[in-house]
Amino acid sequence: MNGAARWQFLPWVLAALVMLVLPYVFSSGASITMMSLMGFAIIFALSYNMLLGQTGMLSFGHAVYYGLGGFMTAHALNVIGAGKLPIPLPVLPLVGGLAGLFFAVIFGWVSTKRAGTAFAMISLGIGELVAACSLILRGFFGGEGGISTSRTSTLQLFGISFGPQIQVYYLIAAWCLLSMAAMYAFTRTPLGRMCNAVRDNPERAEFVGYSTQMVRFIAFCVSGFFAGVAGGLAAIHYEIVTSSVVGAVPSGFVLLMAYIGGIAFFIGPIIGAVLMTALQISLSDYTGAWMLYVGLMFVLVVMYAPWGLAGLLLMHQPLLAQGTFKRVLPAYGLALLPVLLLAAGLIFLVETAHHLMVKAAEGPAMRVLWVDYQANSPWAWVAIVALLVAGAYAVRRVAPTVSEAFHAAAQEAQRRRAAS
Amino acid sequence: MSVSALQLVDVRKSFGATPIIRGVNLDVHQGERHAIIGPNGAGKSTLFHLVSGRFPVSSGEVQLKGEKITGLPPFMINRRGLSRSFQVTNIFPRLSVFENIRCGVFWSLGYKYSFWQGVERARDARERSESILEQINLQSRRDIPAGVLSYAEQRALEIGITIAGGADVIMLDEPTAGMSHSETDHAVDLIRRVTEGRTLIIVEHDMGVVFNLADRISVLVYGEIIATDTPQRIRANQAVQEAYLGSATAEHDDA
Repeated sequence: MNGAARWQFLPWVLAALVMLVLPYVFSSGASITMMSLMGFAIIFALSYNMLLGQTGMLSFGHAVYYGLGGFMTAHALNVIGAGKLPIPLPVLPLVGGLAGLFFAVIFGWVSTKRAGTAFAMISLGIGELVAACSLILRGFFGGEGGISTSRTSTLQLFGISFGPQIQVYYLIAAWCLLSMAAMYAFTRTPLGRMCNAVRDNPERAEFVGYSTQMVRFIAFCVSGFFAGVAGGLAAIHYEIVTSSVVGAVPSGFVLLMAYIGGIAFFIGPIIGAVLMTALQISLSDYTGAWMLYVGLMFVLVVMYAPWGLAGLLLMHQPLLAQGTFKRVLPAYGLALLPVLLLAAGLIFLVETAHHLMVKAAEGPAMRVLWVDYQANSPWAWVAIVALLVAGAYAVRRVAPTVSEAFHAAAQEAQRRRAAS
Repeated sequence: MSVSALQLVDVRKSFGATPIIRGVNLDVHQGERHAIIGPNGAGKSTLFHLVSGRFPVSSGEVQLKGEKITGLPPFMINRRGLSRSFQVTNIFPRLSVFENIRCGVFWSLGYKYSFWQGVERARDARERSESILEQINLQSRRDIPAGVLSYAEQRALEIGITIAGGADVIMLDEPTAGMSHSETDHAVDLIRRVTEGRTLIIVEHDMGVVFNLADRISVLVYGEIIATDTPQRIRANQAVQEAYLGSATAEHDDA
């Protein structure tokens, strides 16, 4: 028991070390900014998964708590800056968290009276309501310009001004680690377990003494708190909050992050947040159609990997543990070329179509994946269709082989485990 | 005389214009094993739903240990010491077998909606769950998801969750439905063991189980209880035989 207790801190120590060292490995300004974004995206995605993955509540309006947390933090920063109040910057995400909690209590009281589809619809309605308010209540939301603020005007401790991005990164990293640990601990409490019970079978939960409405409500409030913390960190990072943060786009994006990462695992939303933030930033440098790729990925995950990327990774764990992983490698190698063909076909299709429709004024000449060609040339389109057809056909052909190889390896792993 | 464990006073229930339960009066003594039998569609499961709060009654009153529980939500009734199982297995499929039991234990040990203490520290909850697991004989399946258990194992788990909270009034809705002979014997044994010293109300179709287990039997026909008595006298009861039992008792005597 004691040994196990000691081991359970290992992942957190590792996570802390990684966060500490990362800025030395990726030291460019752009990568430190990206890692800062990842930090609060992780908190946001994990807070969302408290609802979706753990309690079975599908919310379409989670950005409300993220955004309002951000606005409150920005206002608090401005008040502190103007009044020279002796409050240091590192505690300000707490203001965001409390704002998120406050609004989650109010809106959650209404929406958690229902579960399932009705809850999803109410969350959508509240999201739209707050988004509409954000354009009307100019005093609080700052109209189209948003609320600007400055993080350097607060009380400075130990000479840390939080002007340089690296200092903000470490502030975000610290809050990220703290929030991850707190949210993980939440899953290992009686209420956390009852959240899972309510997700699995709300009816039965009522017959073991728990009000499912109360379980949903508390989970909603805790989730709102952490969304607010994430929003507060975002406000500190950007030094501006605009009304778009409470809207439907970030509400949808957090769903994508959590789902693509894998809502059945605690680590899923972390993977999703890191990957999606990286894609959002780097992909948008290369293509204006990056959202389309994200959407395509979401559809693929929903259809073929409902346990998300974390599920795909973790299903190989028994294979690695029992040494049968190398048996699937030939099949994976075989599948590589067809998958690349199909992916290339899709990329050419999306990029060429995007070029013709959005960038027609620049003329038909374009370059994708090291190939120069004319977007309006019929031969280009023939090649695209050929790639797609050949890729799709080849993927269909190798899919059974891959699946068989995996199941054989998994069965062998199971046999070895039983034998040992 | 002490208060009854459960008392129903002229309980009625209609779905739309259709009366399903038509004035049931029932008095279950503390510590007795009481079986409710009746032909299909008599309203046995509906009666369970009314008592446990899943459906509201149309009129009448239900008293648990002398206190009125009519109109309370299921979780309030459960907290007052009445726990029930379901005819169709109703477990938490993605949680492990152990977690299923532990979810049944938390409230009764006072953990309520606690999110400030870890489950690993909750030693009393763990010990109680382990002992329930032992009683229902599922220790070897402790850590697998409940959804992959065999049917009979799921039925045992269903009983385990029901008794986990230590309620003193236990209601089991057809606990042996769909079981083989040996599984049924096993289940009856289990029920006898785990309801020792508690009040048991059981709906059951298997007459072997009923006459083996029950102290008293109530016969529900078309939403009315036509007789409540000891097994011997129920067997001899003319009205019961006419309404329902005739063939079933004959079968049992042959067996």
